[in-house]
Amino acid sequence: MFISPVIHLAPQPDEGERKDHVEPIICTKGLKKIYRLGKVDVPALRGVDLVVQEGEFIAVVGPSGCGKSTLLHILGGLTGPSDGQVCVDGNDFRLMSDADRTRFRRHKIGFVFQRFNLLPTLSARDNIAIAQDIQGNGFNPHRFETVTRMLGIEEKLNHRPYALSGGEQQRVAIARAIICEPKILLADEPTGNLDTENSQVVLDMLRELNRTFRQTILMITHNPDAAGVADRIIRMRDGRIISD
Amino acid sequence: MINKLIISNILHRPIRTAVSILAVAIEVGMVILVVGLCHGLVNESAKRIEGVGADILVQPPGASFLMGLTQAPMPVKIGDRLAELPHVLAVAPVLFVVNSVAGLNVIYGIDMDSFDRVTGGFVYHGVGGPLQAPYDILVDDVYAKANNTKVGQTLKLVDHEFHVAGVVEHGKGARLFIPRPTAEDLQGVQDKASIFYVKCTDPAYTEKTAEAIQTLLPNNTIRPIKEYMALMTSNNLPFLNAFISVMIGIAVGIGFLVIFLAMYTTITERTREIGILKSLGASKAYIIVAILGEAALLAAVGIVAGIAGSMITRKAVLALYPTISVDLTWDWRLYAACLALMGSLLGSFYPALRAAQLDPVDALAYE
Repeated sequence: MFISPVIHLAPQPDEGERKDHVEPIICTKGLKKIYRLGKVDVPALRGVDLVVQEGEFIAVVGPSGCGKSTLLHILGGLTGPSDGQVCVDGNDFRLMSDADRTRFRRHKIGFVFQRFNLLPTLSARDNIAIAQDIQGNGFNPHRFETVTRMLGIEEKLNHRPYALSGGEQQRVAIARAIICEPKILLADEPTGNLDTENSQVVLDMLRELNRTFRQTILMITHNPDAAGVADRIIRMRDGRIISD
Repeated sequence: MINKLIISNILHRPIRTAVSILAVAIEVGMVILVVGLCHGLVNESAKRIEGVGADILVQPPGASFLMGLTQAPMPVKIGDRLAELPHVLAVAPVLFVVNSVAGLNVIYGIDMDSFDRVTGGFVYHGVGGPLQAPYDILVDDVYAKANNTKVGQTLKLVDHEFHVAGVVEHGKGARLFIPRPTAEDLQGVQDKASIFYVKCTDPAYTEKTAEAIQTLLPNNTIRPIKEYMALMTSNNLPFLNAFISVMIGIAVGIGFLVIFLAMYTTITERTREIGILKSLGASKAYIIVAILGEAALLAAVGIVAGIAGSMITRKAVLALYPTISVDLTWDWRLYAACLALMGSLLGSFYPALRAAQLDPVDALAYE
């Protein structure tokens, strides 16, 4: 069972207001991240304030090195913040250990990467199923079938990653990311390694996921066309959000 | 699923897998064979002494129970005094001659009559018969097979030529027998014996007779054959124990280092994959189990290969060197398997721990 500290960053509503109040699924305040390279401190995030509601499809755009990926890694619990508040689905990262963040990631987050990041020794089927295995709830054949059919990869399940095209690999990666029904899907340049046709297929699928399952999606991209499919575009520069 | 991951990783890197399995197999095979050779040597030697058929061994004061190491022969006339004791049926004096040319052999210098009375006589293979001339020699069938020795042939041992008078059934103390006076000439002694084999009229009188011999020869080493057989284990041979321990240490060290190196390089090679698992929420325990599971599977296959290899090697050794005995026991196979498994798990533990502690962001960025 996933147990973690829950904090409320926003002021608590009165009883009368409570039924109308919607708790944001992601909330950051003054989020900072500093990497230390040798003796030099390199700030990656310089105070990010972000509120995301459940079911939103957000694109984060900005030049290289502006802190987009760092923001994604922190929101996914892959690394901790240096300062500021991060609350994701009621979990305050300041109060969570590495092990807590790992459990959080297992149950609440799905990642899609630019380089697909499939395990090369496993078939497409096993690459998807391993996420269920790690989550510990066992193999769910119904969910597996629904997801693979929706992504159009039923015929490719016995193939290893090297035998799949880039688009197919990314669809397998999306299937792996959503197979455990995560609260948030974090996509880091999901179309960065794909041609235009495959990029469109992947973007359509992300859009479909968002519409059909109200899947919250935070997508990093350099591609303005890709950002165009999102409901909301956040622009970052020098570790800060410059427009929302 | 974790089992699939382990198996697929092992199959994905066939050379690394083959080398790791081979290292574990060598480790296991080496432990089993070294112990088997040592035990075989001791057991076979003990069985041959038992096969003489004597009830009591009489040796010089402070003599080792290892035959051939006795450097202080006793006067042969002691045998006459022993023969006069009650319940003594026969006494056979034997003088040892150690031949180190073309292998190490203890040659028994015997008196045919007394030796036959204790042993019940040799069983001869084919033509040939007892020792008659001073430089006659009897060889046992195992020695004859190993050296392709035939009756009538000349054997050069301890710088002398011997005429093979007969080939006898193995198991009567030594593999080579010459007349005791000839052995005395070779040793430069007269009327001496290295050991007396004493046979009682009834084995039930063994202890009583041994006590009587001890009273008669208070400084000599008197051992009933049962006591001797109990002593003839590798545990009672300190140098053999040390040798076995050193060889086991080397074997386990090889296995440990190879598995350590294989798993360490694997972790470096698979840093990105570990990052992927971490991004999926895999716990440290999950990653440690995956790495240790891989090492355990490599060890298990290596153990099976090592046990099979030791059996094949034993057959080959026995075919090439029939005088060597290799005793492979299941308890040592189990012990070798446990050592290999423990060595492999220990060897992979640090790489597993290192993998579990990798930073997921760094691991995902690893090229």
